[in-house]
Amino acid sequence: MMKPMRVDDILNNNVWDVDYEPHIRVDSSKCRECDEKPCLLLCPAQCYTLAGEEVLFSYEGCVECGTCRLVCPNDAVTWNYPVSGRGIHFRFS
Amino acid sequence: MKEVGYKFDVIVVGAGPAGSAAAYTLAKKGFKVLLVERGRVPGSKNVFGGRVYADPVGEVFDGLDGAPIHRWVTRERISLVSGGEMSSFEFRGSKRTSFTTYLTELAGWMARKVEEAGGVVLTEITVDGLVVEGGRVTGIRVGDERLTSDVVIDAEGINRLLLERAGLVPKLSVRHTGLGVKEVIKLQRDRLEDLFGLEGDEGMAWLMLGDVTDGLPGGAFLYTNRDSVSLGLVIALGDAVKEVGRHVSRYVEALRLHPLLRRYLRDGRIMEYSAHLVPEYTWPDLPHLLYTDGLLVAGDAAGLLLNLGYNFRGVDFAAYSGYLAARAVERAHEMGGMTSENLAIYRDLLEESFVLRQLRKFRRAPRMRENRRLYGAYPGLVNAIMDQLFNSPYETPKVMEALRRAREGRIGWLEMVRDLLEMVRSV
Amino acid sequence: MLRIVVGIKWVPNTTSVNIDPKTGTLIREGIPSVVNPHDLEAVEMALRLRDEYGGRVTAITMSPPSARAGLEHVLGMGVDDAVLVSDRAFAGADTLATSYVLAKVIERLGYDLIVFGQETIDSSTAHVGAQVASWLDIPYVYYVTHARLEGGRLIVRRSLENVRETYELELPALISVAMHTLHPRRVRLSHKLRAKLESPIETWTNRELGLEPDCIGLKGSPTALSKIEMIPKVPRKNEIFRGDPREAAKWLVDKLIEEGLLEV
Repeated sequence: MMKPMRVDDILNNNVWDVDYEPHIRVDSSKCRECDEKPCLLLCPAQCYTLAGEEVLFSYEGCVECGTCRLVCPNDAVTWNYPVSGRGIHFRFS
Repeated sequence: MKEVGYKFDVIVVGAGPAGSAAAYTLAKKGFKVLLVERGRVPGSKNVFGGRVYADPVGEVFDGLDGAPIHRWVTRERISLVSGGEMSSFEFRGSKRTSFTTYLTELAGWMARKVEEAGGVVLTEITVDGLVVEGGRVTGIRVGDERLTSDVVIDAEGINRLLLERAGLVPKLSVRHTGLGVKEVIKLQRDRLEDLFGLEGDEGMAWLMLGDVTDGLPGGAFLYTNRDSVSLGLVIALGDAVKEVGRHVSRYVEALRLHPLLRRYLRDGRIMEYSAHLVPEYTWPDLPHLLYTDGLLVAGDAAGLLLNLGYNFRGVDFAAYSGYLAARAVERAHEMGGMTSENLAIYRDLLEESFVLRQLRKFRRAPRMRENRRLYGAYPGLVNAIMDQLFNSPYETPKVMEALRRAREGRIGWLEMVRDLLEMVRSV
Repeated sequence: MLRIVVGIKWVPNTTSVNIDPKTGTLIREGIPSVVNPHDLEAVEMALRLRDEYGGRVTAITMSPPSARAGLEHVLGMGVDDAVLVSDRAFAGADTLATSYVLAKVIERLGYDLIVFGQETIDSSTAHVGAQVASWLDIPYVYYVTHARLEGGRLIVRRSLENVRETYELELPALISVAMHTLHPRRVRLSHKLRAKLESPIETWTNRELGLEPDCIGLKGSPTALSKIEMIPKVPRKNEIFRGDPREAAKWLVDKLIEEGLLEV
């Protein structure tokens, strides 16, 4: 607790039943033209990461807060909720 | 689209506090109610800061008899934080007005009440859209199926995808939204009580303003639960988009590792990490959609949450708005149908209740919160004054002298007076 | 008209189980249960066969009553009805006692085809399917990826590492579905409503089944678990190479050799 922790290690305490299809789709062509990329710092689950110039997106660790949908300046994010009860399963929040 | 062969009087979307309050109230009155929830169990998608005001929720849910209450907040602490220093104001009372809990538990309890009252609670169903026919909402769509009802109560939460898809509201804007991020950290129960000076089921709510948000409008919080604390912060998303300097999880981590906080959390273990958006609308400047033909909107989806900076009220506002939506349905039913004209009573009920009275009264609060000096200059000023008053080895200055010295380079007199006036008018 | 029985297990969502860094033990507090994900693939295959050839799919599980939520989930996918086999007398069963009870339940239900998942995420034995087939003395094929009906026989395909086999099975038979081959379908509103409102779940106890106490529960379980060892989590080094991909590849190979993970 007294040391910095990686976001992944913090997230590891959560429970997911990951959906089979991504509930969020990102149009990466729009990301290439985006200078600000606020998703990188504002997605609390760090689902958006940078690999070179490319924004990589993974939906598995999403906490379904909706931030990326709002902060994306280019409307590159098509946002949905997972189906069939899948996705994040909060227990202590 | 295939029509599903069941018929309900009312469909409620979302088994959070607003949806369950609406469904419970209507089920008790004998309406055929379906409460649809996307989570595996009710509560599994719910996140809040940590505190609930009991009376409004108790008014809806039988005095909260049997509710999962962790601790009653008898200890309020507000701290101004700057550069490793902190000035705190603390109030210790004995009244039981608000309590801490996990919303995941509380929402689960509320949904069970709905079932007990005869409502049907359907989990694992993500609603894809509202069915709108001739300007009137007639039901919900899930995949290629639709289900009809006389009225839909939309309690889908802050991400009001259904309202947006139906073209009833514009896309939610970052300017009217805060982002809350928190860690729930497990502590030994007796250790927690010792650390925070609590006895039995007493609890503490601790709000922190200052550089804990890197100067961004917002604030940090710590709530004591039964054997854990909820530690987190809320930042204004509109400002964060432009200025966020590090990953948002690092702000919570900085709190956990903060020299003045880590002593409380040393033996803790993170149980959960969550995030949630918070409506920060200004009422009544912004158009909230509350009702239309065949539709009522309650809770976060309608933007009904009070954020004063030093206090948040979301769960009780949501539950009470759901309750009023139910009463509006009842009245509209008596008046002959779920038309926009008949459902307009919902707005009147909200206006008469504490919900809109509070939001109106504090309509200037959002603008006040935008004042950056609240997060930089003032915490620094207060701490510098305290420092001089208590840490002057030989000559303790007079209060005004300390203020003058602390003020230098931080803030002008005129600005201070103006801010003070604004603060008095806002909160 | 195919009479299909599909077995499911209600298991803790162990994909999310974390280790307490201090004690090194599993943190089980508040871990919710799910339908074993590989069983959902079995359900999907059963439903596809029913949708194609007609018939009826019954889901069964042996579990405490909390598994009702799991049965409601598969009913939501479109399973026709379900049996919850639940009795304190069945508690503590190993795979042998479990398969015995399930075989008796299936016998009582009547069946042309039984479908299981490859294994469970909480114990990974892959025993139960094979054992049920043995109790019932019917053909059993596992790792099945495709199944279709032709002239009253079931044609199944299974993929092994380097061969693909096709079998023709006389019904009744039991198949277990290879994991990661099918996407289970979405829970439907109408099905879920039916699951809630028309109670298609029956609960069977040993009063209905009347099985000998020596063959069920703890008594009927010869397996003894002698030891569980936790494999310690390897701490991540978190080294990142930035720059040219070719150099990155070389850097990675060197690292792996250095760690003794790669031999040249």
